[in-house]
Amino acid sequence: MGDFGIKDALSSITSEALLEALAVIVAASLLILMVQKAVPVLAAKLSGKPRLYLLASVPLFRLLVIVLTIIVVVPILVEPSFENMIAIFGALGLALGFAFKDYANSLIAGIVTLYEMPYRPGDWIEVNGRYGEVRSIGTRAAEIVTLDDTVIVIPHSLLWNTLLANGNDGTDNLMCVAEVFLDPNHDVGRMLGLFRDAIFACPLTKTYQPVLVTVAARETGMCYRLKAYPLEPREQARFISDLTARAAEICGDEGVPMVSYPYLQAQKA
Amino acid sequence: MTDNNQADHPCLPGGLIPLEQWRVPETSVRRTIRSGLRDILDQLKAGIHPDEQAFRSLDDLPTLSERQIQDYAPVPDREELARALLNELEQLRRSGGQSRKTSFLVAPPFSGIAEALRASGRRVIAPPDNLLMPERDITGWWDHQLQDDDWVIPELADFWLRHRSGLGLLRELFARLARDKVGEGIIGCSGWCWKFWTQYLPELHLAPLTPSPLSGDRLTNWLGHLAGERPQGPLTARMTQDGLYVLPAPTGDDERKYSLFTRDLATLARGNPGVALAIWRRTLRARPEDETQQQGEEDAHQDGRQCWVAPLDQLSLPAVPQSSARQSGYLLHALLMHGGLGLGQLELTSGLPGEELRIALSRLERADVVTGDEQEGIFRVQALAYPAVRRYLQSKGYPVDSF
Repeated sequence: MGDFGIKDALSSITSEALLEALAVIVAASLLILMVQKAVPVLAAKLSGKPRLYLLASVPLFRLLVIVLTIIVVVPILVEPSFENMIAIFGALGLALGFAFKDYANSLIAGIVTLYEMPYRPGDWIEVNGRYGEVRSIGTRAAEIVTLDDTVIVIPHSLLWNTLLANGNDGTDNLMCVAEVFLDPNHDVGRMLGLFRDAIFACPLTKTYQPVLVTVAARETGMCYRLKAYPLEPREQARFISDLTARAAEICGDEGVPMVSYPYLQAQKA
Repeated sequence: MTDNNQADHPCLPGGLIPLEQWRVPETSVRRTIRSGLRDILDQLKAGIHPDEQAFRSLDDLPTLSERQIQDYAPVPDREELARALLNELEQLRRSGGQSRKTSFLVAPPFSGIAEALRASGRRVIAPPDNLLMPERDITGWWDHQLQDDDWVIPELADFWLRHRSGLGLLRELFARLARDKVGEGIIGCSGWCWKFWTQYLPELHLAPLTPSPLSGDRLTNWLGHLAGERPQGPLTARMTQDGLYVLPAPTGDDERKYSLFTRDLATLARGNPGVALAIWRRTLRARPEDETQQQGEEDAHQDGRQCWVAPLDQLSLPAVPQSSARQSGYLLHALLMHGGLGLGQLELTSGLPGEELRIALSRLERADVVTGDEQEGIFRVQALAYPAVRRYLQSKGYPVDSF
C-alpha cells in the first residue's frame, strides 16, 4: 500500500475506457460552453426577473453537468469500489493540496458562491473598490463589467476574507444616489420639495420604490442626496446623470448656486 | 355595488365598486401559462420577425362590412352610461356608501368613463391651456373653477404633465379633495394617472370607486346589450371553428352549447370594456370555417341577425416592437399616464429630444400600437394594443395601473 492503492485502482484503465471518458468530458465541456454562450445572449433580450433567473441558472447548470460528468466518467475508468474511491480521491486531494492550493481554494469558494449566493449574474457588486455588474460566474472566478465597460476577473477565493457590497442582491431594485452640493443660505424646505418633484418627473424612476431626498450641512456646502431606484439597474449611470441635470436646472431656476470642492479649496488658498 | 345592479344598468354591468375590491377576471391555468410563455417568447423573438407586430388575422374568413360591425358591435352610448353612473352614485350616496361630497371614479383607459362624464350634462371643468402654470396662479384658477357645485372633471390626467413644473395643478386639487372642500362634483381619473399620484402622495385617501371588471358572463350580457334588440331579433354569434354559441346571452332553460370565448376575452382584456369591444369587433366574421357543415344549423337562424366569431388564437394583436433601446417604454408610459399627448408635451414628459421622439413614434404607429390624431395633434395608445402595451411596460419594470 506504499502507493495508497493508486496503482491497483488505475490498473484496469484501458485505452478504450480512456477514449470513452474523454468523449464524455469533451461532450460535457461543449454543452457547458454552449450554455455559457447562449443563455447570456437570450437573457440580454429579457428584462426584470426573467433575465436574472436565466443568468443565475448558468452556474447552477454548469455545476450539475460537472457532477454528472464525474458520476459517469469515474465508473468508466475505475471500478467504483470503496478502496478505489479512497485511493483516487486521496491522491487527488494531495495533488490539489500541494500543487494547486490557490486554484482549489477558488474552486471550493466557487461552489460556496452557488450555495450562499453572495452574488449572482446580474448583481451590481463592489469588491476591493471595483464596482460593476456580475457578467458570469466561472468555476474559479467571477467576471464583472464596470460602468466603463472594463471586465474585471475576481477569484472566488476573495470571498473568504474580503468585504463585498451587493447593490441589488438578486433583484432588479438598485438604489442610486445623486449628490449635489449647494451654497448655504437658501430655503432648504423648498429645495427638498423641488428635488423630490424632479425625481418623480424623471421617466427613469421606479416610482413604486421609495423616493428620498436628504440634506446635510458639510464643509463643502449643503449636501443634497437624491435617492431613488431606476427602472433597470443597468441604467444607473444615465439615471444619476439625469437626476443631477434636473437638480442643476432647479438650482439655476431658483438662483441657488452649486458649489464644488475644488472651488472651495481655491477660495481658502 | 353588487351583481344585482346588473339588471338595472346593462351598460354598467356590476355597477361601481371600491377600487380595492377590483380583481382581474379569472381564467384557466392553461391560458395563464400559455400567455406568460408567449410574453417571454415575444421578447426573445425581438428583431426576428419585425413585420409581425401590427394586427393580423390568421384566418382568411371574410370579415363583416363596416356597417354590419357598427350594427352588431356599436360604440357604447355615452349618455346612457352617464345616466347609469349618476344613478349609481346617487344610490350610493343615499345608502351611505359614499360619504364624500366629491365622487372619485378611477377606471382603466378605454373604459368610456371620461366620455360618459363629458356627456353627463353637468358643468365640465376643462384643463387650462398652460399646464405648467406658475404656482402663484394655481390657487386662484381652482377657486374660480370650483366656485359652484355640480361640476365634473371627465379626465384628471388632462390636468398635469410629468414635469417638475407640471405637478402643481393636481397637487393643489388633491390637497383640497383631501379636506373635502371642493363642493359637489365628480372626477374621472385614469388608473395610470391615479397610480402615479398615489405614489407621489402616499397618504392620499379619497375612497375612489371603479366600474366592476367585466367577467365572462358580464361581458356576454354587455355585448348582447350593445348589439341591441332589432325587429329581426337579437344578435346570434357563434364560433367559426365549432359552432358553439357566444351570443345571445344564455338563459336559465337554454339547451344551446356555449363557448368559453367571452371568458377568455374578458381575461385578455383584463375586464376592460373598451379593450374587449375593440378585440370583439376584430373577431367578427361573415361565415364559418366549414360553411357546408354549419349550413343546416345556420338555416335555423335565418330569421335573426347572425355572425361568426373567430377564436382568439386566430388573431395576432399588435405587439410593441422589441428593441434594446428604451424609447418605446418612455413614450408608451407617458401616453398612458396622460391619456394622450402632443409632440411638445411628449418631449417634456419623456425627456427624449424631438427627432429621436419622432422616430420612435413612427415605429409605434407602424406597429398599430399608437395612433396620432392629425387634427388635434395628439398621440394615443390604441385600444387593440393595450394588453400588449401593459404587459410590455410591466416586464420592463414600469409602474403600471391596478387594472
